[in-house]
Amino acid sequence: MTSVLRSILPVSSAKSEDHDDDYSVEYSFAMEYSGPPVSQDIPQVAPVDVHRIPTAAVAARGVTLSNLSLPVIQPIVKKSDHQNQKLLEELKSSGSKVANHQVSKAHVGKIGSSARVYSRKSGNFSYRDGELAIEEGGNGESNVFGGAQSSSSSGTMGFSDGHDDSNHLSESSDVEELDDNLKAGVSYGDCSNPTTSNSNEDAEDCVDEVSGQGHRTSVVTFRDLQSNDSMSEQTDHDEPEILPERRVVLDDVKKGLCHRCCKKNRFAGKEVCIVCGAKYCSKCVIKAMGSMPEGRKCITCIGYRIDESKRGSLGKCSRMLKRLLGDEAIKQIMIAEISCEVNQLPPHLIFVNDKPLSIEELVMLQSCANPPKKLRPGKYWYDKVSGFWGKDGEQPCQIISAHLAVGYQIRQDASNGNTNVMINNREITKAEFWMLQAAGIHCEGNPHFWVTADGSYQLEGMNYVMGKLWDKKRVRIVCAALSLPFPSDITNTGGEDIDDNSNKINSKNPEQDTKNRLLLIGCDQSGTSTIYKQARILYSVPFSEDEKQNIKTVIQRNLYRYIAIILEGRERFEEDHMIEIRRRSADEPGPSGSSDQVDKKNAYSFSPRLESFSSFLLQLVMSGELEVIFPAATRVYSPMVEELWKDKAFQAIYKRRNELHLLPRVANYFLDRAVEISRIDYEPSEMDILYAEGITSSNGVASVDFSFPKSSQDGYMESSDQNDPSISYQLIRVHASSLGENCKWLEMFEDVDLVIYSVSLTDYDEYYEDINGVRTNKMLAAKKFFESIVTHPTLAEKHFLLILNKFDLLEEKIERVPLTQCDWFHDFNPVISLHPHSATSSNNPPLAQRAFHYIAVQFKRLFQSLTERKLFVSRLTGLEADSVDKALRYGKEILKWSEERNTVSLNEWSTESMEPSTSV
Amino acid sequence: MSVLAELKQRHVAATETLNALKAKLKQKRLLLLDTDVAGYARSQGKTPVTFGPTDLVCCRTLQGHTGKVYSLDWTPEKNRIVSASQDGRLIVWNALTSQKTHAIKLPCAWVMTCAFSPGGQSVACGGLDSVCSIFNLNSPNDKDGNLPVSRMLTGHKGYVSSCQYVPDEETHLITASGDQTCVLWDITTGLKTSVFGGEFQSGHTGDVLRYVTYLFSAFTNVYLEMISAAFLASMFVLGFSVSINGSNSRMFVSSSCDSTVRLWDTRVASRAVRSFHGHEGDVNTVRFFPDGNRFGTGSDDGTCRLFDIRTGHQLQEYSRPHGENEVPHVTSIAFSISGRLLFAGYTMVIAMYGTLYWQRYVVFFSEWCFNSYRPSTVMNVYMYDALFTFQLKFLNQQVVLNLGSLQTSHYGRISCLGLSGDGSALCTGSWDTSLKVSCDL
Repeated sequence: MTSVLRSILPVSSAKSEDHDDDYSVEYSFAMEYSGPPVSQDIPQVAPVDVHRIPTAAVAARGVTLSNLSLPVIQPIVKKSDHQNQKLLEELKSSGSKVANHQVSKAHVGKIGSSARVYSRKSGNFSYRDGELAIEEGGNGESNVFGGAQSSSSSGTMGFSDGHDDSNHLSESSDVEELDDNLKAGVSYGDCSNPTTSNSNEDAEDCVDEVSGQGHRTSVVTFRDLQSNDSMSEQTDHDEPEILPERRVVLDDVKKGLCHRCCKKNRFAGKEVCIVCGAKYCSKCVIKAMGSMPEGRKCITCIGYRIDESKRGSLGKCSRMLKRLLGDEAIKQIMIAEISCEVNQLPPHLIFVNDKPLSIEELVMLQSCANPPKKLRPGKYWYDKVSGFWGKDGEQPCQIISAHLAVGYQIRQDASNGNTNVMINNREITKAEFWMLQAAGIHCEGNPHFWVTADGSYQLEGMNYVMGKLWDKKRVRIVCAALSLPFPSDITNTGGEDIDDNSNKINSKNPEQDTKNRLLLIGCDQSGTSTIYKQARILYSVPFSEDEKQNIKTVIQRNLYRYIAIILEGRERFEEDHMIEIRRRSADEPGPSGSSDQVDKKNAYSFSPRLESFSSFLLQLVMSGELEVIFPAATRVYSPMVEELWKDKAFQAIYKRRNELHLLPRVANYFLDRAVEISRIDYEPSEMDILYAEGITSSNGVASVDFSFPKSSQDGYMESSDQNDPSISYQLIRVHASSLGENCKWLEMFEDVDLVIYSVSLTDYDEYYEDINGVRTNKMLAAKKFFESIVTHPTLAEKHFLLILNKFDLLEEKIERVPLTQCDWFHDFNPVISLHPHSATSSNNPPLAQRAFHYIAVQFKRLFQSLTERKLFVSRLTGLEADSVDKALRYGKEILKWSEERNTVSLNEWSTESMEPSTSV
Repeated sequence: MSVLAELKQRHVAATETLNALKAKLKQKRLLLLDTDVAGYARSQGKTPVTFGPTDLVCCRTLQGHTGKVYSLDWTPEKNRIVSASQDGRLIVWNALTSQKTHAIKLPCAWVMTCAFSPGGQSVACGGLDSVCSIFNLNSPNDKDGNLPVSRMLTGHKGYVSSCQYVPDEETHLITASGDQTCVLWDITTGLKTSVFGGEFQSGHTGDVLRYVTYLFSAFTNVYLEMISAAFLASMFVLGFSVSINGSNSRMFVSSSCDSTVRLWDTRVASRAVRSFHGHEGDVNTVRFFPDGNRFGTGSDDGTCRLFDIRTGHQLQEYSRPHGENEVPHVTSIAFSISGRLLFAGYTMVIAMYGTLYWQRYVVFFSEWCFNSYRPSTVMNVYMYDALFTFQLKFLNQQVVLNLGSLQTSHYGRISCLGLSGDGSALCTGSWDTSLKVSCDL
């Protein structure tokens, strides 16, 4: 039997080899006459062993590139080769073993910890192996050489050899896996049997050795391991071109052993790395695989392409892992595994009509109505006209969507047919031929048919549809019998895995957030809080109890502050008054001293009780502890305020409140109702809330979700509104100070869609005084802040809407204070024309109007110079609901425009805000 | 007017004197640094820690946030993590199983910091709403299924950038805020116990000097500035981060955008015990060294530094090589239990045609080259003290392991990191919305 097979083997190998006949022949010879050429061969062995690796790589690369039918086969060949080689090498002298060690060591770095563990141990064991091998290896050396040669030849011979070696040595080594790896496994199955019996003396020796050693399974195990190392080493060199990302294929440790801890538990569940095939027990899997960001891969395998043979198991994990991590985590990992980019089919390994796919083509192929099922790396042919799809050299296996722009023109021999009948320029196979005959189509005289996607066929050169192929019932039956494809009416039947493939990319995308975020930002006193509150009232987002309570606190505290300011003023008034009285009394000395006294008292002085309250309050304000005491102390001091309010002296001062510059304008609104507000049961009305300074005591971030109600006002834009009535907006109001120095925290708002920057128009003559006593114009400060916001990287590319607030106050102020007070506006010199001919725009626009336009243009120029984009400007009066509504709707429009940007020219739209500015 | 001019003059003169003194101090300090720690360590036969790529393995990815993760904290004993994210949630995780035990919806989504109480019963968070909110994890959910806020600590006038519980005190918490103050809170009452820094020194004992100071300022801010520069020493603290000394909970350090770090004693609110200069950018993070006599800082200038609180010296500077225009900021640091390792989270900005990239690094710096880095061998306190008889000089730092090179790294900027109580695991939070827990094998 063996001799028969021996004679067969070289032949078969020669057949299966499509190259390097010499090698295979040499190999076969070596096997046969092991003795004679020893003297010649031995010197070659050592150098070859070291140098052969690179040369082998070159050869393999060339092969894989030029001859594409091999990629599937090669790994197996190699694997077996290496097993073989390793085996033989172990029988060799210790010198080669050292080389081996180096190899394995060099490899350790890449393989990672798991590999390292092995390598260390394998070192020991291989020594032992080596010794054993030498003891027995009388005939070893020549065989070694033969084996080595076989590996380089990458012949099938090697495969079968290695295959049965492993069968013999480690009885449990998975033949199945190898078969998995190779679909060719079946065809080799035949070979493996004969070779088993055929295998040369050394293989038999090994078998003997194993059996002789009885229970020393570990030896076997580590042999495998080592083969694994050398092999992986080889793959590093051999395969960089075809599978650049492919990890070393870890050959399995003996079945049932964990790759990490090497403990044996045949029955405990294990998880397999989808890249290298290493198996881990439940104790080690977490440490070896970590958090599994790309699914079940060893940490060192992360980033590498998965083993294609394991593609089917993507997303399916063992029960052990489920138990270990829990459902949630598993779900997460499995999703990651399926959707991770690295785990996708490598498009460049899929050839359609000899052309490797690009990623776009792959996506197109997978997302078409009828995608090819079970797409694997390999070569396919595709008939673009009819949609026939099959593996290169095989009959069609499926009919996919036609007319996909994938691959080159189909080759005539794509399906390796020999019937001389052509369909769409492809010579059809026997099965198809029978199918055509079954369909009653005459195929005499080597006809050339054109078959379209719907099955209608015609002869080449004839503009006449002869019939529809798929309409015939017999065709369906014949197709089923011949396992030929039949077009499916239902799209995507049974294409689950493809679904997975294509959907996974989308599934990872975070759900689209339809919320539009408006960031409202501004300096102190720029009215952002008013706009915010106005928006809440406008779009009916009621204030919660807590918020009301908060605002109540703010209002009450402010009230005390106002009172304190008035009281402070009183001191001044009182002094002035005293001086005046003294002067008066000096002017006309008389007996009316007592009445003077009364007069003075009546004017600005308090009763001792109020006096003490007054000084207490002032002291609090001075020490900055007003806020600590006040919200809490309202109960106590509420009657005091009432008393104070009723006091004539206080009223007298109150009448002169306009002389107190520190008192803000809104103070009047609250002071008029001081008694009511100071009460404990005071409930702020909406108006009160609107007028209150600030939103919360801390003046932090406030946000509100709202949607624009349909209003009659925007009838003109109704048509465009229809498609997004429910888009919700979020208005986020941020105080400048809460962004920190250099706007450090602005990055928190990187997801906003529109930035609304609010500037108070009245700022132009107002000043800050910082701690150094340096006065800064508020408008300039606002400008500076604007610059820093606009140029902040976080907000680059965002749209900006400038709101010029407090227009009502500007109208008042502009009459008193010229705009040129601010350096930035020094060239504002409106020509007040009295000519009535410019009647188009509200007849000679008022000064405030012009000032507004001027300021708007200044800001626009600034913005333009900073970003080279357009700034949108809106005018606003915070206390008027309508104007706030208008401004926010304007913001909404800006967002809409930005969406429509591609179709509509922006310039056109923005003229609305630009055109008045040009009129100045 | 003449008074003002005179005051200004005096102010200028005082500033000059101050600067001269500072320079002198610096010089003196440099003179005192005469020994090289690296050399010393070498002479002791200590070798740098080495790490293999798989020695620190990312074991868990905690996914659940939908926004950038800004902060995280571990419970001191159990393996739980609280994380704060821009999606407006705090999530309490079990780091072992990666399960979420609580998801707390926050009233304000812009949260910057979070902390676990020492007992693990409650969590605190703070952010742009200028409020520090305390959640009791044991309280029942309200009708909307949200965990109610059990206490709001209001009073800050700027964002709360950092909060931390006083070790072993469930009821005391220190916050750092953008209003340039740090505040020690009593959680049970919700009131400030003391305020550190800021313009007005607060506290419940008003003292005359302070009042005088205030009156001064009422007349002239200029003069106040002078005084403050001289002895208030904390005028411009923009608190970013605060760390409380583990061994002496009365001491804490705060770091600031004025590129200084200040050491405070909670019993003395009026002024900082010491301020530490050296950084050339905002100091984003500060952590006490395990022995409590040193602390580490991380800054926008791309360096981490180690300072000694007793001498005020900078002991060591750790920096990575980087290009001219791309200084990676240190966002967060942590020390290993033994102090042998310093973990630093980096960001890197590459400005390119107006677009912004964030790259991530987790870099491990080799540090004191003494014992094993293992948490079990905490001999370092002794070692350091012994060492301190020598004056220290900067030693050569060495990157032990760059986690960023591993594929287990984040896809976004790393914003925070923290070491578990027993030192066996490191958690990092990132702008890629996930947290990762790495275990030391």
